[in-house]
Amino acid sequence: MDLIDRIARRDEAALKALYDLTARKLYGLSLRVVGSAERAEDVLQESYLQVWRNAGEYRATLSPPMAWLGLIVRSRSLDNLRRRAAERAHLTQDLDETLSDTLEGDAPNPMDTSLASQQAWALHQCLGQLENRQREVISLAYLRDLSHGELAERLALPLGTVKTWIRRGLDKLRDCMARFA
Amino acid sequence: MQPQRHPELLQRLAAAYALGTLRGGARRRFETIAREQPVVRAAAIEWQTRVASLNELQASAEPAPQVWTRIQNLVRAEGERIAIEQQRAPSATTSPRGWWHSLALWRGAGLAGLCTVVAALVLLPGLRGELDRRGAEVAELQRQLLATPDVRYVAVLNDDQAKPAVLVTFDTRHNRLSLQRVGGYQEAADRSLQLWALPPGAAPRSLGVLSPERLLQLAASENAVSEVPALAISLEPLGGVPSERGPTGPVLFHGPLIQKQI
Repeated sequence: MDLIDRIARRDEAALKALYDLTARKLYGLSLRVVGSAERAEDVLQESYLQVWRNAGEYRATLSPPMAWLGLIVRSRSLDNLRRRAAERAHLTQDLDETLSDTLEGDAPNPMDTSLASQQAWALHQCLGQLENRQREVISLAYLRDLSHGELAERLALPLGTVKTWIRRGLDKLRDCMARFA
Repeated sequence: MQPQRHPELLQRLAAAYALGTLRGGARRRFETIAREQPVVRAAAIEWQTRVASLNELQASAEPAPQVWTRIQNLVRAEGERIAIEQQRAPSATTSPRGWWHSLALWRGAGLAGLCTVVAALVLLPGLRGELDRRGAEVAELQRQLLATPDVRYVAVLNDDQAKPAVLVTFDTRHNRLSLQRVGGYQEAADRSLQLWALPPGAAPRSLGVLSPERLLQLAASENAVSEVPALAISLEPLGGVPSERGPTGPVLFHGPLIQKQI
């Protein structure tokens, strides 16, 4: 948080320090959304430039630093994804593969809590109680801003299945998160 | 639909809203209710914060090292652009180039204006405040007029793929070439880019050596660019080569120089 204040005062060394601390994490997020190393790097570049320009507004958001940075990177990543969708009609093709890959993973909870805020810790605990596929479908819906229909199409699953997984997953999360509130 | 009366339904809608799976008319109706009902609004915000935590739980990955270099370059270029904009204060250098461009004329005009103000101050002390203000306005307008670049020549230098690499403009008021690198090209630390005028039927003439920044300026007289149909940039040893020898390295970028009519 001190780093962001220093960045607001045009301290380039602070931007470098923030980058060293957070770039790997945020690059991982962008990679998950845009699905390509080259574009994820473009997003990372745009995001830190945005941080450099808007660090002065950070305090007003009242959010933990990683939450703020995460929102910037997700929003930039989705912009990138939409630009690409507009440029290329066959976009869904290469996404399908990366999406179904993640569903097949059977690791109990592959999520990474390094640098996570307290709120993210709580969510992480609760996500651990979900079935793998519920967790993945919920993650994908949010990270890539996909509707039930889009998810069903890209994962080659019946629409009803996707809806049920998401609803049950969210119900479980609600019960679990209520205990942290 | 009154979700505020059904806690379970409210939670479900707020969660779907935050996740983004609540779409279309249902989403708009929920937003309308959220605007009117603080309880609904609070549930939506709570869920938005929750699901946003997903951003923080993704596995890390290693970006390529040049990403930081690109960010640093952009941040510095931005700093320099701001510095250049702030530096556009009146410059003392001038050359005889028509009465309109004559600094002496404008200084004289300024002095005359000042004399009028002084005279008025002596004669009409009651109007002093108003005239002070007018005098300051005249001085400010003069300053702005002198500071505004008068761009008369423009060139976009392309690489061999016809992609723009460098934008060049010539400001006849300040006798200054401004260069902006627009492509991703960056020469190695032990090499320099050199800008050349390509006059018809004559050897190329050096206009100067580019510093590695994204935005830079070179002093040049209007003679050096008038009647020159094209510019080129070559890759040379660090510090460039003498003008009379001509470019020794490969020409990376070139393009026509256009004199603005408007």
